[in-house]
Amino acid sequence: MSLLKTPAIVLKSRKWGEADRIVTFYTLRFGKLRGVARGARRLRNRFGSALEPFVHGELNLFEKRGDSLYRITGADIRDSFAGLRDDLPRMSSAARMANLVGAVTGEGDAHPSIFETLLNGLHVLQSGHDPALTALLFQIKLLGETGFRPQTDHCAACGDGHGRMAGQFSPLAGGLVCLPCARRDRDRCLPMSAGSQAFLQQALRWAPAAVTRLKATGQIRDELEAAVESYVMVVTGKHLPPADFLSRPATL
Amino acid sequence: MGIDNQGLLAQLIRELVRLPGIGHKTAQRLAFYLLKTEKDEALRLADAIRAVKDGLTFCSQCRNIAEGELCEFCRDPKRDRTKILVVEEPSTLYAVERTGGYRGLYHVLLGALSPLDGVGPADIRAQDLEDRLKQGGIDEVILATNPTIEGEATAIYLTRLLRPYGVRISRIAYGIPVGVDIEYADEVTLIKSLEGRRDL
Ligand SMILES: [Zn+2]
Ligand SMILES: [Zn+2]
Repeated sequence: MSLLKTPAIVLKSRKWGEADRIVTFYTLRFGKLRGVARGARRLRNRFGSALEPFVHGELNLFEKRGDSLYRITGADIRDSFAGLRDDLPRMSSAARMANLVGAVTGEGDAHPSIFETLLNGLHVLQSGHDPALTALLFQIKLLGETGFRPQTDHCAACGDGHGRMAGQFSPLAGGLVCLPCARRDRDRCLPMSAGSQAFLQQALRWAPAAVTRLKATGQIRDELEAAVESYVMVVTGKHLPPADFLSRPATL
Repeated sequence: MGIDNQGLLAQLIRELVRLPGIGHKTAQRLAFYLLKTEKDEALRLADAIRAVKDGLTFCSQCRNIAEGELCEFCRDPKRDRTKILVVEEPSTLYAVERTGGYRGLYHVLLGALSPLDGVGPADIRAQDLEDRLKQGGIDEVILATNPTIEGEATAIYLTRLLRPYGVRISRIAYGIPVGVDIEYADEVTLIKSLEGRRDL
């Protein structure tokens, strides 16, 4: 057994056994990991609210040989992100980011840039930025940090960088496609106007601090949301709850 | 071939694993225990499960556990019918009941909203609670969902859903547990305790 320490963000937490919790984190040093927190649901426990989703903290844990589940021995809060708990649009957008990170990363595969991007996204959300737009931007950024970076420089299907691009996004190919490829796969491509393409490229390229200056309204927002939604579904193989999950008019 | 691949015992283990909080190892241990134990004793468990499933349902008004159409609280004429206390699970209801400090009615959601797991209003049948307010006669709804992100989401959602009915909506105060030093309270707990402070 060895004692480890790392900055971490809680992705999700579920009840386990009588009084325990199994918590999934994205950590700076070890990437995604799951740990069991003994007694975390008892009234007097050493974890307090440090294991609640979105909390950024310093994690102490034991690694047990031959067990993928860590033993959490302590957690100190650095930022509780309490502001993400009292507003449904912010909460659902934060959940969407956390779910995406959980779905596209493997356990024990460290990518400090994913950690930093997620942390940045939570800060931007908490600062009062449009929640759904923040979720959209940071999903693009998070995908950009993984092997699923949306392809915008050349055709995502055939790799051709010189042919005419079709103004179509292929969720299956993972990016913009050229005219012949778009024709071949017409049913499954989504339209993407020049404005949306520019937004996508800038969202991928710009630093997180600058990226919040990007604005998307009307058609551009609709196109990007549709493209990211379909692409995330292809990449994760599941339907993640949307960023406006509990705040859509239909559910109220 | 592992023991857990074999016919009848494997079937029992598979059923046990589906219970909340039971992992594969525990399920195996329980299954072996049931295998070794006296037949009468083991079958008492089966009988108890059958009796519960045959005899108990959820109250048609509040979705608490009930032996008939309505639960014991909804049937009790001495309860204050102007108040509804909303809980996630029946176990919370009985914890409140043990205090003897509440005499109103209840509403059991049998779950909580979760933006992380995609549990939406239809899954907790939020509509049922709204329907009770539509029928009138309710003055106050007390939200006693857990102080977790799910309980929080549920409380915010229900507040917005029920506000148009003009009843008093309150959330149980939560914060520092009795008997501990305030300095040991964590950040979120302390914030919530301050928000929930009251005049003296
Ligand atoms: Zn092509
Ligand atoms: Zn009832």
